[in-house]
Amino acid sequence: MESFAQSVVSGVLTGSLYAMIAIGLTIVFGVMRIINLAHGDMVMLGMFGAYWSYTLWGIDPFLSVCIWAPLMFAGGMLVQRFLLKQVMPKGELNTLLYTAGLSLLIANVALFFWTGDYRTLNLDYAVMPARPFGISVPIPLAIAFVMAIAITTALYLLLSRTDVGRAMRATAQNAQSAALMGVDVGRIDMVTFGLGTALAAAAGVLLVPSLYLYPTVGEILIVKCFVIVVLGGLGSVPGAIAGGVLLGLVESLGAVYVSVAYKDTIGFVLFLLVLLFRPSGLFGVGKS
Amino acid sequence: MALLEVHGLRKVFGGLHAVSDLSFALHRGEVLGLIGPNGAGKTTVFNLITGFLAPTAGRVSLEGENLIGLKPHAVVKKGIARTFQVVKPFRNLTALENVTLAAFLHERSRPKAEARARRMLERVQLGERRGAEAVDLTLSEQKRLEIARALATDPKILFLDEPMSGLNPTEVEAGCELVRQIRQDGITVILVEHHMRAIMRISDRIIVLHHGEKIADGAPQDVVQDRGVIAAYLGERAV
Amino acid sequence: MTRLLAAAGILVLVSAPLLTGNPFFQHLMIMVLFWTLLGASWNLLGGFAGQVSFGHAVFLGIGAYVTMLSYLSLGLSPFLGMLAGGAIGAMFAVPIGLICFRLRGPYFSLATLAVAEIVRLVALNWEQLTAGPMGLLITQLPPLSFAGATVDWESKIPFYYLAAALALSAMGLTHAVSRSRLGAYLTAVREDIDSAEAVGIDTVRARVTALALSAFIVGLAGGFYSLYFRYVDPDAVFAISLSVEMIFIAVVGGLATTAGPIVGAVVLVTIAEFFRDRFQAGHLIFYGLFMMLVIRYLPEGIWGGLRRLLAARA
Repeated sequence: MESFAQSVVSGVLTGSLYAMIAIGLTIVFGVMRIINLAHGDMVMLGMFGAYWSYTLWGIDPFLSVCIWAPLMFAGGMLVQRFLLKQVMPKGELNTLLYTAGLSLLIANVALFFWTGDYRTLNLDYAVMPARPFGISVPIPLAIAFVMAIAITTALYLLLSRTDVGRAMRATAQNAQSAALMGVDVGRIDMVTFGLGTALAAAAGVLLVPSLYLYPTVGEILIVKCFVIVVLGGLGSVPGAIAGGVLLGLVESLGAVYVSVAYKDTIGFVLFLLVLLFRPSGLFGVGKS
Repeated sequence: MALLEVHGLRKVFGGLHAVSDLSFALHRGEVLGLIGPNGAGKTTVFNLITGFLAPTAGRVSLEGENLIGLKPHAVVKKGIARTFQVVKPFRNLTALENVTLAAFLHERSRPKAEARARRMLERVQLGERRGAEAVDLTLSEQKRLEIARALATDPKILFLDEPMSGLNPTEVEAGCELVRQIRQDGITVILVEHHMRAIMRISDRIIVLHHGEKIADGAPQDVVQDRGVIAAYLGERAV
Repeated sequence: MTRLLAAAGILVLVSAPLLTGNPFFQHLMIMVLFWTLLGASWNLLGGFAGQVSFGHAVFLGIGAYVTMLSYLSLGLSPFLGMLAGGAIGAMFAVPIGLICFRLRGPYFSLATLAVAEIVRLVALNWEQLTAGPMGLLITQLPPLSFAGATVDWESKIPFYYLAAALALSAMGLTHAVSRSRLGAYLTAVREDIDSAEAVGIDTVRARVTALALSAFIVGLAGGFYSLYFRYVDPDAVFAISLSVEMIFIAVVGGLATTAGPIVGAVVLVTIAEFFRDRFQAGHLIFYGLFMMLVIRYLPEGIWGGLRRLLAARA
C-alpha cells in the first residue's frame, strides 16, 4: 500500500512537469495549428541554460528560471517571426517537416558543442529526500512541482483575464474571424510561440536537477509530449495537464505493477487507442 | 421496384436530429429535386446515401441491394455518383487527369481511360479546357468538371449537390440543359438546389425537407402551394 | 534526355567500384545506394500518396531481424533471409496500414511513430526472440559462388553490387508505379481523399498496397543492413532517427519523383559520411539545415527544382 502511495506521488510530481511541457506544445497547436517537433529541444536548451548558469556562475536553477524563461520567450518569438511565419502558408505537413529539420539542427549543434556526455546537476540541499508520511519525495522535484503549479496558474490567468489571452483563445477558435475582429494574428502567433518555448525552457530548468541531461534528450521528451497532448486533446490546456499527470501515473504505476520493461509500451498503446477511437482526446475537448 | 428506395433514414448528431425518419423512392429515369430551408438536412441525406456518413438508423437499397455500411467508393461501384456542394476537384491536376481518374473505374488501361475521359469532357462542353489545371478553371467550369468526373464512373444515379449555386443566369440555363441531356442519356438524377426557378423547371418531382423531416413529396406545382412548405420557408404568418 | 542520363547513370553505377580501391569511398557509395533505396521506398508512400510516415524504420528492423534470425537460428541462406525479411515486412504493412490509415495528416504521422516505437520496445524486451539490447551478431557469412568465382565477403565490392541491384529495383518499381493506375490513384489520394472515394477509388486499399510495396523494399534493405554491418540491435534498426532520415532524403531530393531520392542520398549521405569521418558528429546538422532550406525555398526538392529549371530552358 505504501508503494502504491509512493508511486502515485512520484507519478503526479513528474507528471506535472510533463504537463508543463505539454501545455507549451498544445497552445502552439491550438493557436497556430502547428505541431512543433522542435519543442523537446527547447526543453533541452532550458536544461542546458540552467546547467551552465549553475556550473559556471553558481546560480541556483530555481532562480535562473527567471532569466532563462524570458530569454527563451524572446527566442521563440524570433523563431516564429523569421523562420516559421514564412513556412506556415505551405501547409501543415510542410511545417511539420520544417520543425523536424529545426529539431535536428538544434539538437545536433548542441551535440557538437557540448558532446553527448550525460550530465547531472547536483544541488547540495537536494541530497536527502524529504519524507512526509513515510513517502520519499526528492526536494528538487517538490520545488519544481510547486513552481510548475505557480507558472500554470499564471498562464491560466493570462489566458482568461488578459486581452492577449482572449486574443489567443479567439485565434485558436477561428483565426480568420479573430483577424476580422481586429486581432493582430501575426503578433499573437509570435506571442504564443514565445510562450510555448518559454514554458518548455522553464520546465527544462525546473527538471534539470532531477534528470540526466544530454543534447538529444529532446527526442524522448517530444514523443512523451505527443502522447500527453493526444490523450488530453490537442489544443486543450486542461487536457494537457490531465494528460501529463496521467502519463506520469501510468509510467510510475506501470513500472511497479506491470514491468519496468514494458512501461513505456503502455503509454504508446494507450496513445494509439486514443488516436483511433477518441481523436479529440480522452476528455473529448481536443480539436480533430 | 423503384431504382432507389430509402426507408426510415435517420441521423442523430449528439442531440441534433439532422435527418428524421426519411422515406422516399426514386424511379428510373426521373429527375427528383430535394429542397428545403438551410439546415434542413439535404446534404446530410446525400452523405448518408453515398456512404460518406453512417446513418443512425434506416435502410437504403439500390435495385434491391443494400447500400448501408458501404464505403463511398463501393457505393460508386454500385452505380451512384455525386458532386459536392463546394467543388472539390483535384486542384493540381489537369481537367483530363481529373476525369481519367474516374474513368479508371471501368477502363484498366490508361489510353482507354483517357479516351473515356475525353468523351465525358466533351459532353459537358469542357473538351477544349482538358489541359488546364483544375485550379485555373472558372467556377462554372469546375462544376462541369465534377459532373464529367461523376459521369465517367458510368452511374445509374447522379446526385448533384447545389449545382447551380454561384452561377450567373446564362450558366444556370446551360446547367439545366445539361441535366436534361443527362436524363436523356438514361441516367436518373436527384439534385439538391436552392435556385427555385431552375429546380422547378427540371424536376419531375420534388421532395421538401424541413428540420430533417419530409414535409412534402409531389409534382413541383403542387409542392409550392403546399401550406406546410410555405410555412417552412416564409413562416406561419405567410400561410 | 532523361534516358541518356539514366543510361549514363547505370554505366557509372556498374563501373564505379572498379575505379577506386579506397574502402572509404566504397563504403560511401554503398551508403548512398542504401539510402537511395530507403528514400525511394519511403517516397512511394510519402511522396506519391502524400502519407508522411514517421515510423518506416519498423520495416527496416523487421527485415533486419528476420534475416539475422533466419540465418543464425534456422541456417537459411542470408539471401533467402533478405527476401523473407521483405515479405514479412510487407505482411506487417497490412495490419499497420489498416490501423494507421484510419487517420489523416499529422495524426497518421503520429500513429506510425507510435507503432514503430511499440515494435522497438517489444524487440528491446522480448529477449528470448531478439536477444534484447545485446543484439545479434553474424561472425561468418556463408561461402557463395557467383559466375564461377567465390564471393569474398571481406571486400566491400559484393555488397556494392548487391546494394546497386536493390537500389535499381527500387527505382524501377517506383517508376513503374508512377506510370500505373495505382500511381494515379495514389496521386488522387494525396490531392483529396474524399474526392478520390467519390470517383470509386478504394483509398484504403491503394494506400495499403503502396505501404506494402514500400515495406517490402525497406525490409529487403533491412536484410542488407544485417549482412553488411553484421550486427543489429533494436536501437540501431528501429530508431526514430532512421525513419526521420528517410524522410529527409526523400524531401531534400524531391518528393514524388523517381530520381529525387538519388539526389537526396548523394547530397546528404556524402556530407554525412565526410563529417562522420572527420568530426565524428555534426553531420546531422546538415540534414536539419538542408531540410529547412528545402522546405522554405525549394519545396519540390533539389531534383524537382533542377527539373523545373531544365524544363524552363527547353
